[in-house]
Amino acid sequence: MPFAFFDVLTDNFDAFATGFGTTLRIVVLSFVIAMVVGTLVAAFRVAPNPWLQRLGAIYVEFFRNIPLLVLLFISFPGLRRAGVEITAIVAGVASLGLYTAAYVAEALRSGVFSVSKGQIEASLSLGFSYPQTLRRIVLPQAFRTVISPLGSLIIAMIKNSAILGGSILALDDLLKAGRVIQSRTFETVPSFVWAAAGYLILTGLATVAIRRLETRYAVRR
Amino acid sequence: MTFAVFEWLNSGNNLSFILEGFAINLEIALVAILLALVAGLALALLRLSRNRLVSTVAGLWVDLFRNLPLLLLILFLFLWIPQGWRNTWENTIPGWAPEAFQSGLMLAGLSGLVLYNSAVLAEIMRAGILSLPRGQAEAASALGLGYRQSMLHVILPQGLRRMVPATVSQLITLNKDTTLVSIIAITEVMRRARTVTATSGNPFTGGGVDAPILEVFIFVGLLFIAVNFALSRLSKRLEVRERRRSGSVPKPQVRGLEEQVA
Repeated sequence: MPFAFFDVLTDNFDAFATGFGTTLRIVVLSFVIAMVVGTLVAAFRVAPNPWLQRLGAIYVEFFRNIPLLVLLFISFPGLRRAGVEITAIVAGVASLGLYTAAYVAEALRSGVFSVSKGQIEASLSLGFSYPQTLRRIVLPQAFRTVISPLGSLIIAMIKNSAILGGSILALDDLLKAGRVIQSRTFETVPSFVWAAAGYLILTGLATVAIRRLETRYAVRR
Repeated sequence: MTFAVFEWLNSGNNLSFILEGFAINLEIALVAILLALVAGLALALLRLSRNRLVSTVAGLWVDLFRNLPLLLLILFLFLWIPQGWRNTWENTIPGWAPEAFQSGLMLAGLSGLVLYNSAVLAEIMRAGILSLPRGQAEAASALGLGYRQSMLHVILPQGLRRMVPATVSQLITLNKDTTLVSIIAITEVMRRARTVTATSGNPFTGGGVDAPILEVFIFVGLLFIAVNFALSRLSKRLEVRERRRSGSVPKPQVRGLEEQVA
């Protein structure tokens, strides 16, 4: 019996490895999108123009309060039926990225507010423009205070990525690999335990990496 | 042609069909958060236990279930829970419980939601309890209160109050996560939305109009946004009030919205 447990891993190692790779790829791509869009939205939210602020706020409230699964239905079958040629992986990565971007924006915004007003005033009075101030003075300092909130977001993203393979998108990610192997072998516990182990490896690695960054750069709020 | 947008909403009983489905999600979230609060408090207390073994085991349990994808838990429980348990659930659930809860599938859905959320809430509660100044526990024991008494009368009432905003934020996440039980074929708003889009002239909904997937799911999304937006406002207000109440604490250890995690 314990042999069967390990057999499930060794017999299906390729499928698990492919799933692991797909999950990793989804997470990395979505994180890039989340960081780029999130930084942009955060910049909107702290901009002096009230219309930009409002736009940023609408983005955050929309993507933070909508279930990721609903986003996937909108972006994949919804858009496809409406005539947009979108592939499952693009729909999935875009949804996860845009969804997480709202949280990234909020984390960055609270980081921006942790930079004291004097810094901004000083830099403006030194002749920096507002965008320059944001890019050269505020954001470098803000990024340091947001390492740990961003870290929890990466971990949440790893977990949320499972929704991509588990739902209508049917991407061959780690959870999907576990399900396929379960349906083939009927070894429910080992199939899911090994898939879970893959997720724990990813979240564990992320935790260690973030802790390293924190001890090097982080500033306690 | 322009008026055809969202025409399906007024066709047949599509609107009430979807709204009733959404009510099921809210019911699931409510039941799950109540159960998760109880289980989470137990886990937090076990983790804070002075017995090394107990606190280690509770810590491992919490870290395990906090770090696994919720959908993986739900799918696993769905496949693993024996038919007998489902039957027991169906036989013991009281008749006055909402209809969606009568199905044995709900056992897997609810256990997954509670396992995950109790672990998350346990961490929030632990942080709330640990954020109290040490002096509180010391004063309690100086006054002759035992461990149990000081927990019950001094530590928990203060520590738990601090976690209220964070708990409301968690309820937002939980609300969204209730959509995941559609994947194990529990009929809630996602399933109902798919029924509405399935065909025109749908026998279930009596609708005679095509319901584009895009529009239907945007509508479902707006329902969630409305409820969760109200909850996030509530959380923010509670947080401000709590900060004002415990004026001496400049930065609460248990933050609400800004640390809410996906």
